[in-house]
Amino acid sequence: MEGFPLLSTSMLAPLIGSFIILFLREEISKWVASITSGFVFLLSLLSLFFFDFSKAYKVQFEEKYTLIPELNLSLHMGLDGLSYVMYLLTTLVSLSAILWSTRDHQIGHRLKEYYIWFLLTETFLIGVFASLDLMVFYVFYELTLVPMFFVIGIWGYKLRMYSAYKFFIYIFVSSLFLLLGIVSLASVHYKQFGKFSFNYFDLLKNTYPLEFEVFMFLLFLIAFAVKTPIVPFHTWLPDAHGEAPTAGSVVLAAILLKMGTYALLRFNISLFPEASVFLMPLMVLWGIFTIVFASWFTISQSNVKRFVAYSSVSHMGFVVTGMFLLNTEGLKASITEMFAHGLTSSALFMMAGFIYNRLHSFNMQALRGSIRFMPVFAVFVAITGFSSMGLPGGSSFWGKFLTIVGAREYTLLLAFLVIVGAFFSAVYVLYLLKTLYLDTKEEGRLIHFTDIRGFKLLAFFLMVLPMFMVGFLPFLFFAFYDPYIKNLLEQIASKVGG
Amino acid sequence: MEQLIKLELPSLSLIIPELVVLLTGFILFTLDLVYKRLNHALAITVSLIGYLIALLFLFLNWGLKGETFYGLYHRDGFSSLMQAFMILLTMLTLGFTHAYYKQRRSTYGEFYYILNFALVSGMFLVSSYNLLALYVALEAVSISFYILTALLRSDFNSKEGAFKYLMLGGLSIALASYGAGFMYLYSGSLDLRYILTHVAENQYFLVLGLVLFLVGFAIKIGAVPFHFWLPDAYQGAPTPITAYMASVGKLAFFAPIVRLMPYVQEHFAYAWVTTVGIISAVTMLYGNLTALVQKDVKRLLAYSSIAHSGYILAGIAVAKVIGLKAVIYFLLAYALMGFGGFMVLALLERVPNWENRLEQFSGLRFSVPWLSLSFMVILLALLGIPPTVGFVGKALVFMALSFEGLWWLAFIMIIATGISTGYYLRITALMFMKEPNHTFDLSISGGERALLLLITFGIVLLGAVPIILWNFVSLSAENLFVR
Repeated sequence: MEGFPLLSTSMLAPLIGSFIILFLREEISKWVASITSGFVFLLSLLSLFFFDFSKAYKVQFEEKYTLIPELNLSLHMGLDGLSYVMYLLTTLVSLSAILWSTRDHQIGHRLKEYYIWFLLTETFLIGVFASLDLMVFYVFYELTLVPMFFVIGIWGYKLRMYSAYKFFIYIFVSSLFLLLGIVSLASVHYKQFGKFSFNYFDLLKNTYPLEFEVFMFLLFLIAFAVKTPIVPFHTWLPDAHGEAPTAGSVVLAAILLKMGTYALLRFNISLFPEASVFLMPLMVLWGIFTIVFASWFTISQSNVKRFVAYSSVSHMGFVVTGMFLLNTEGLKASITEMFAHGLTSSALFMMAGFIYNRLHSFNMQALRGSIRFMPVFAVFVAITGFSSMGLPGGSSFWGKFLTIVGAREYTLLLAFLVIVGAFFSAVYVLYLLKTLYLDTKEEGRLIHFTDIRGFKLLAFFLMVLPMFMVGFLPFLFFAFYDPYIKNLLEQIASKVGG
Repeated sequence: MEQLIKLELPSLSLIIPELVVLLTGFILFTLDLVYKRLNHALAITVSLIGYLIALLFLFLNWGLKGETFYGLYHRDGFSSLMQAFMILLTMLTLGFTHAYYKQRRSTYGEFYYILNFALVSGMFLVSSYNLLALYVALEAVSISFYILTALLRSDFNSKEGAFKYLMLGGLSIALASYGAGFMYLYSGSLDLRYILTHVAENQYFLVLGLVLFLVGFAIKIGAVPFHFWLPDAYQGAPTPITAYMASVGKLAFFAPIVRLMPYVQEHFAYAWVTTVGIISAVTMLYGNLTALVQKDVKRLLAYSSIAHSGYILAGIAVAKVIGLKAVIYFLLAYALMGFGGFMVLALLERVPNWENRLEQFSGLRFSVPWLSLSFMVILLALLGIPPTVGFVGKALVFMALSFEGLWWLAFIMIIATGISTGYYLRITALMFMKEPNHTFDLSISGGERALLLLITFGIVLLGAVPIILWNFVSLSAENLFVR
């Protein structure tokens, strides 16, 4: 695969797919979309053989097309250990979401548009994770908004338009601060090196006084704190996730939230190491605060989709906490948790959508005990639930466990705080599982339930299988980003210590 | 100053494009005289041929630079770029107007040569440093616009808009000429470059003159608090003319202010940044806030045009090369987007009982899918979603502001853009997410369809591959700074 343009191929394929859909009959569109995303997924799997794990800190599959030489603006893409994991997650979840949509009752009209928007989302998401040029990153970051806006607004549930507005406005306005930050960095580069540049590696060379660095850190943070989200900025999320169609929620929770945490790690920590070290206590405590509060919010939800949405916020708290511990365990926990949460939250949203198709309700009371009539589905949901809770062997276990270990390296108290957070996040999953399994269904309301099968089973299975892999074979995943983390920590040490 | 004494033959080679356009105007005028009922196809063909030839001359002598008529006329990269865009936009306008006027039974032969006259005077306005020449060109553009606004003779709104425009336009020209007088008093010259670099005793005359002069232009570009005519004139004018005013008019009226930027001297740089910055901040906030509550989409786009004047002024506040580049790019970008936005409305107005009301846009996708898609792209471009020209313009303005360290203005621009999300998004959402009240058929001719597609495609292409326009913009901006 030497010299093969992996990234452009996997970005162009969905574009071509959506172009083909434009000219075909409505009923065929779902198959074109499935085949296209399947192709991209296989391509990403295939690329595993060509990824050099020993040099995972280095950018591989690199491609560069200059856009404006004067401003050093180029379509510069490549994957290192961190972005590679995100790339795999994107192709996997996109495939799974599209497969799910083919059998979703909610997606009954305007199929062409739906699948075009979905394929475009896949292109943009790969662009987000692969770009090494900050302006290009921003372009893709913004572009993901447009398809999701339409997916929520057209195919969503009752409050769809309101939620779509809220989603778009929150993220668009916050990301304008990011734009200001990016162009400021380019200006600073001009003042220090005599030329503008948006290239990630060029901007790494910039040096700033601490106040200015903190200011830049905050500009970036505003955007990513809303996107991630961290607690006071999370209010768009339950609406957007709660009202989106199932596949939309899946992509939102599994990948769009990761854009925030990915960017925090990739840009905030790497570009502003001094500010990160300076603000570390604040960020860690903020992360723990997010975990605890989001867990409480979660337990009080009566709508199962909003329940899952809030649980995502709590998981993101773990990611932020782990990341800003700025040590090996913390970073490892953070990246593992990003991947793991992508799987569990997708599966939980699929669960909610699946039950809705049976019961036509998202109400927790209506759901009581319903799952017992679908044995296969019940097993899958149980696995997902325990994974999400952080039971050993479950995918989230490593995220939570390593965060605690990382916190222990500082003080015992900090580790204790994380444990408190982990406790609350276990509580809400147990509450969910109890409602689904142990509560009894009222007499006379028994409806005939068909168990999960076909494409939905496949889509669900695509989520559950990697969950096992993360849980039982975590070293497979650590291999991606161990070198990256080592490299990152060395960079931080050299900049801050020097 | 010596130029005034030396006798020179005007070098006509510099103004060939203008001469060609002017000649076209005379031919159109004669045609209108000769034929009792002007054949519109003929008039359009003649205009298009004339403009194409002018454009051809412009491109053949792209690098041409120089002054003629004793410094009254100045050609450089900036003026060539602006003129090329103005001619292109005029040609695009011609593609939409005939069907519009025909439906309103308001087809007049005057239209063609007045449009032509507006273009010629606009072309002069973007290529002069001389107060006298600027004054004449400004007056000529304005008069053409008054007539064009009023040209829908059966329509009351059209006349009302034209009258308001005339009153405030007259005021603006009076102010500008008064300011010019003070500047002459200060320096003894009519050349802006000389005036601004001249050092004399009475700085007050310069400040007073410059302020009055700028206020005159601020009225023309619709900067708050001098904007009151703009929504009425834009709403009252025939919609293709609104598009024309929002694109060619904006380019022409902004050009003299842009030409001032390299001559902002150290000693009044602070005053410049503060004044222009505050006007820009007020303009974008006011424009966007007012647009948010509009029920009429044409009026909404007029307010959005005011807001965009604010964004461009923010770039002008940064009197550096990077600011100049941002301003020129944004100007061209807005010309394209504003033009497209109003032209979509012009096409929609063909639907019976169409009043541009916001709720009429609900479910538009089900009646005219391609038109709504174009409109969506244009609206998102106005909002500044990548990869569109609007985004590139906005990013460049942000870059200029951060370069200069004008953080407060940058934050206000973020807030203003945030406010604008509300109304651009509402129209988009209405078009695509609501079920329609009733569907209708709209017959758009192949030519109009192609032109609209071209504009939409241009908006995306110039944003996705900005290098196409960037080199021209960058070069012309740098040339302006070379004294």
